Amino acid sequence: METATHMLRTGRRGTLFEFHMALRDLRASGDRLGLAWSLASHDVVSRYRGSILGPFWITLSMGLMVLGIGVVYAKIFAIPINEFLPLIALGIVFFGTISGMINEGCETFVHAAKMLSQTSLPMFTFVWRTVLRNLINLMHHLVIVVAVLVIYGYWRTADVPMFLIGAVFLVLNASWISMLAGIASARFRDIPQVVTSVMQFAMFVTPVFWPVNRLGKHVVLAANPFYHMLEAVRAPLMGGHVASSSYVVLTLMALIGWGVTFSIFAVTRRRIVHYL
Amino acid sequence: MIKKAPPVSISCRDLTLRFPVYGVDAKSLKKSLAAVTVGGRLGTHAHVTEVTALNHVNLELKPGDRLGLVGHNGSGKTTLLRALSGAYEPDEGAIEVQGRIAALLDLSLGIDPSATGLDNIRLRGRIAGLSSREIEARMDEIASFTGLGPFLAMPVKTYSAGMQARLAFAAATAVEADVLLMDEWIAVGDSDFQKLAHKRLLKLVERAGILVLASHDTDLLRLYCNKVMRLEGGVASAVTDIRKLDELMAA
Repeated sequence: METATHMLRTGRRGTLFEFHMALRDLRASGDRLGLAWSLASHDVVSRYRGSILGPFWITLSMGLMVLGIGVVYAKIFAIPINEFLPLIALGIVFFGTISGMINEGCETFVHAAKMLSQTSLPMFTFVWRTVLRNLINLMHHLVIVVAVLVIYGYWRTADVPMFLIGAVFLVLNASWISMLAGIASARFRDIPQVVTSVMQFAMFVTPVFWPVNRLGKHVVLAANPFYHMLEAVRAPLMGGHVASSSYVVLTLMALIGWGVTFSIFAVTRRRIVHYL
Repeated sequence: MIKKAPPVSISCRDLTLRFPVYGVDAKSLKKSLAAVTVGGRLGTHAHVTEVTALNHVNLELKPGDRLGLVGHNGSGKTTLLRALSGAYEPDEGAIEVQGRIAALLDLSLGIDPSATGLDNIRLRGRIAGLSSREIEARMDEIASFTGLGPFLAMPVKTYSAGMQARLAFAAATAVEADVLLMDEWIAVGDSDFQKLAHKRLLKLVERAGILVLASHDTDLLRLYCNKVMRLEGGVASAVTDIRKLDELMAA
């Protein structure tokens, strides 16, 4: 990079200026997406250094969970295993990604304290680091998804383009929640515990382990953001259709969520480094 | 094709930095919620104590300026360096820096003990703003400078403190910068390495347009700086010639 860079830091100059600076941070993080990627892949590599299976350990434990729950609950619910096992396999993998992004989001800024307090790196870089790290993990877990889809023959009806669209919706929504959790956790050290509890609760009220149709049209589904996120990626792979209302909810949620999160970021941006 | 870049410069105008001190109490959500429910009667919780670390600092530096910062512990030297690195947003005033900034404030930044020496060099380079290709291009030079040879392929946690310092120093100084910020002149390693390190730093300083060095060592400042500024409780003196260092210290 041979171009000279320019850095300007000023006192508060009104709300509009704060938004302008927040937008600059976002743009700068886009220019340095490679750095976020390097940090994320370094995180994954260093977490599993010296282990033979690496991130596949989680894949393995997820696989065992899928197998165990799949076989036992298929009996309990009296659902054919070739319907039930793929359902929870996809449920566990994708919900794991959602909750991973959100739970680890709590540490986004706290862990970057040292770097944030002596460099001018964009703050969004660390948000992308968390998101990308979880996407890297997801790539490993896709082994389970592919295996299940092939074994039970769903690959013939799987709609991959719609799945990818659903994945974009999932990331768009999980990332703002992740960032919001990051900002809140930097300021209030109770937030990580709250987030963990909420995500655990969410796992049980979201159709991760149980078929959607057993509940019918229940408020737990319609008002559950994670249900829509999960359906957007799971249904296309299982040959089902995603209700258009789900896309509406996901779009609205992404717009409003990012609007709120970005506003909070714009207002607290200059304070975050002092929270840490 | 390449736009003519504006000359390297540092400019602080009325720079004021206050550190809010969020007490242990304030960081608990319960306290904040409690404050809301009682209608702010517990005003002491909502009120955040602030420490003014820099108070209306004015500073203009142009290429060729080598500024020494002097002052007691807690006078704001490091805060000023960090502010110049872009980490802090001023509460009042403005900081403007033209040129690539390299802040050698903390050598251990981004060092992961469980990763190998080579990986650490890569990571540190990425944080400093180099692309992967630039790092690979410089890798041989950095590796030979560390003098660690085959140890570079081993995890940093197996290094002695001196070896870690060598690695950190080599990685941190592998940058090309127009503005160099240093908190104390970093001299690490055994006497052989110190000589090498010294030469490398001097080269870096020569290439950089501007150096800002905070130090308590007046001989060192006389050696490397041509200007000096004294900070006292966040208030800065005027930038004066290094030859007047004694008068400045006595004042």
